[in-house]
Amino acid sequence: MTDNSIIENRAEEVPFSYVLSELLETNVKQNPHKMKTFKSLYGVVAIDLKDIEAAVTLVFSGGKARIEQGIVGKPDIVIRTDSDKVIGLNSISIKFGLPWYFDEAGVTVLKQILSGEIKVQGMLVHPVILTKLTKIMSVM
Amino acid sequence: MPIKAMTQEWMDAYKAAIQADPDYRNIAKDWEGSVALVVNPDPSKNVPEPIYLFMDYWHGDVGEFVVCDKAKAESARFVMTGDYARWKQVAFKELDATKALLQGKLKMKGDLPYVVRNIKTVNKVIDILGKVDTLWPDDHK
Repeated sequence: MTDNSIIENRAEEVPFSYVLSELLETNVKQNPHKMKTFKSLYGVVAIDLKDIEAAVTLVFSGGKARIEQGIVGKPDIVIRTDSDKVIGLNSISIKFGLPWYFDEAGVTVLKQILSGEIKVQGMLVHPVILTKLTKIMSVM
Repeated sequence: MPIKAMTQEWMDAYKAAIQADPDYRNIAKDWEGSVALVVNPDPSKNVPEPIYLFMDYWHGDVGEFVVCDKAKAESARFVMTGDYARWKQVAFKELDATKALLQGKLKMKGDLPYVVRNIKTVNKVIDILGKVDTLWPDDHK
């Protein structure tokens, strides 16, 4: 973690963590509105990619985040999917400050959630965390 | 007749295949910037030295496509590095490039959100790569 880094990667044995860390850090630093959301995000989110047997837990603490190897503790949200679908989550557009599920990318993700290809545990209990996560991860 | 992979002749054929693709121009209309592929050596597969490939893409057009040196490759906006066997798997669609990136089998230097935003362009050029009639270094043992 460099001095100006906002992500601490403690999951260095998981290659996926580097992609996640770089994607999140670059995305947030490039967009002031995403940085604002990032600074307001407190919560724990796990991402479990079954097909490549890789799981990480993101711990957000208001302007900082750290990535732990595996599913650590009791995350607020757990996303379980395959590696090719997790990238689709980054393609969700943001409109009016909220994730937009009515374009091609949004409909695709919705279908995958409904079919169980993407499982989001905790989405009904922690909608604010999920919304903020979607906003900071969206590259659109 | 198949063309030897990762030679200038092969790069020319790849460029021509991209230019001839009816969908490429529209899919890649938002992409701007050069891409370098670095192929790590694997003497057991007849790749004794690293190979550097430089490709310039600009809003649906294609520019310079060359086999180059390390310095030129590193000057590209995006640099993707992987073992020879991985690249061959990607070309044959035995390995999904996104999955390879997430598994650390391929590494990328450059603006990752930009690449994710334009993932259809990336998938399209990989798709075309697989259509180039290619003789791979380990095919003629």
